[in-house]
Amino acid sequence: MTPTSTTTTTTTTTARRPFAALRGRLWWLWAGVLAVVLLWAVTGDLLAPYDPMAQSPQDRLLPPGARTDAGLHLLGTDQLGRDLFSQIIGGARLTVVIALSATLIALAIGTVIGLCAGFYGGAVDRITMRLSEAQTAMPMFLFAILLVAAVGPSVTNLILLLPALGWPTVARVVRAETQRLRASPFVLGAVALGASDRQLLVTHVLRNLAPQIGVLFVIELGQLVLAEAGLSFLGAGVQEPDVTWGLLIASGRDYLAVAWWLTILPGLFLAATVLASNMLLRERERRTVA
Amino acid sequence: MSTAAPPAAAPAATPASRRRSLAGTLARRLRDTVVVLFLVLVVIFVIGHVVGDPVRSFASPDATDEQLAQLRSAMGLDRPFHEQFLGFLGDVARLDMGMSLWQQRPAMDAVTEVLANTVVLAVAGLIAAALFGVVGGVLAGSRPGTWVDRVVSTLSVISTSVANFWVGLLLIVVFAVYLRLVPTSGWYTWSSLLLPAVTLGFAHGGRICQVVRAVVLAEMTKPYVLAATSRGLPWRRLVANHALRNSGTTVVTTVGWEFARMFGGSIFPIEVVFAWPGLGPLMTTAAGRHDFPIVAAAVLVTGVLVIVVNAVVDLVGHLMDRRLGTGTAAEVPR
Repeated sequence: MTPTSTTTTTTTTTARRPFAALRGRLWWLWAGVLAVVLLWAVTGDLLAPYDPMAQSPQDRLLPPGARTDAGLHLLGTDQLGRDLFSQIIGGARLTVVIALSATLIALAIGTVIGLCAGFYGGAVDRITMRLSEAQTAMPMFLFAILLVAAVGPSVTNLILLLPALGWPTVARVVRAETQRLRASPFVLGAVALGASDRQLLVTHVLRNLAPQIGVLFVIELGQLVLAEAGLSFLGAGVQEPDVTWGLLIASGRDYLAVAWWLTILPGLFLAATVLASNMLLRERERRTVA
Repeated sequence: MSTAAPPAAAPAATPASRRRSLAGTLARRLRDTVVVLFLVLVVIFVIGHVVGDPVRSFASPDATDEQLAQLRSAMGLDRPFHEQFLGFLGDVARLDMGMSLWQQRPAMDAVTEVLANTVVLAVAGLIAAALFGVVGGVLAGSRPGTWVDRVVSTLSVISTSVANFWVGLLLIVVFAVYLRLVPTSGWYTWSSLLLPAVTLGFAHGGRICQVVRAVVLAEMTKPYVLAATSRGLPWRRLVANHALRNSGTTVVTTVGWEFARMFGGSIFPIEVVFAWPGLGPLMTTAAGRHDFPIVAAAVLVTGVLVIVVNAVVDLVGHLMDRRLGTGTAAEVPR
């Protein structure tokens, strides 16, 4: 180590706060987690060490790190001898697809409603905001179970229902931002120059909302991943033979006493994904404040 | 579940809305409550009668179209929709949600039987959540940047990032399967309540913690705190008597709102995990058996609970607000 003044300062800080050097750089780790999950979602089980569906009765319920003739089972095997790590990689796709489409729908609905409410005000504002309040007070999660009782579970139901959980938050944030932008000098200037409502909404308001919508996207994605897991766990979401992480947790539950890895590990991947998005948000917040 | 922000109680913190009379608030709250309740009923009706087909669950799978039509008219399902809806409202008013095919008794009976268990767990979970949230939030917010703050903040981020039922499963593995300290599931002794309550408390405490930390932090940076410190007021009294007291309204409304959110969904997967004999297992089993009446009754009852808790929290916030004369319930930071 060269004893320059800079290194000395770094070492003293590191001595006092062991993780100080990592702070501000940790976001690479979280971004990496999200990137891996997205990669798995795109490639499906191509990157999996085994065929996620291949059963092997003599290799049932092997603990993580077990070796068989086929090779290493990094995260162990399930009750049918299927490789858990491969199932987690294979399950990433549907987990991401459901959460992603539900989030995009929620963002679209919330943004349109929030824009109109914030831009036009008056009756539009009152009605839509009352609606979003009512929506927050309604047990949407239970309606999902009700829907299952009426027509049975399906991925389509899930994608159509999950946005209902997410849009009120989006609408409220977009509305507040729209109101702020609507009153800002450059929008007033555009009005004075005779811009049409459409120009104002799209060019001047919506474009400036992009950062907020980006943040909302990450927030909603995390929340809807968890909501999907909860519904699938209750049998109100994805059904076998489709696989999501929530469903993996549910199907491993029967073997909790003998094979903890079947429930705990998929949940760990789920937690890491949502945690990664939340930590990225915090990092962004810290930077905007600083 | 994802709706992070509490339902904004008052639209904006204008001086006029702060001074709104109690009677006015009551009337406004009552009107909102009725509207939401009506919407819940509409959704239950639409899912049951428009999206789903009640005949399907009664008739055998190989029934002919003619038999189905007969059953349909016998059940009054060929009448116009508004008539059916009015009939449905009448049934609801009599607390009659129909017969459960699975349990062979009125669906409402099956629901009310286990409702108390769910409420017991929810109250225990609320106590755990308030302990974690308020104590953790105050400690973190009054000493920002310290290791306490970092530990508490990390815990609260984790709490909002994990599937709460998975936390329950984790606790079962550690404390029931490996350490054998508590029963894995069911409700046999009061110690059975421990793990589900802790799970629920962790799930909801995180958000309470973040809110409490933020308000206490905001309070601690106000000039009067500096003045009190310079006059030699002990830090402990400053936090307890001033900072915490001034953020009381926000704390109470946040805790109350989390209570409502439990009934809005989060408690049910946790009940299923611990085989707690409450509404969660009842609803999921009934849904799996396509027993619509029980699920509808359960959704109605919990819907009413959510609405009532929301209304009460709003009113309490309003009352506290008047007494303290500071901030409004709407000023809850994210």
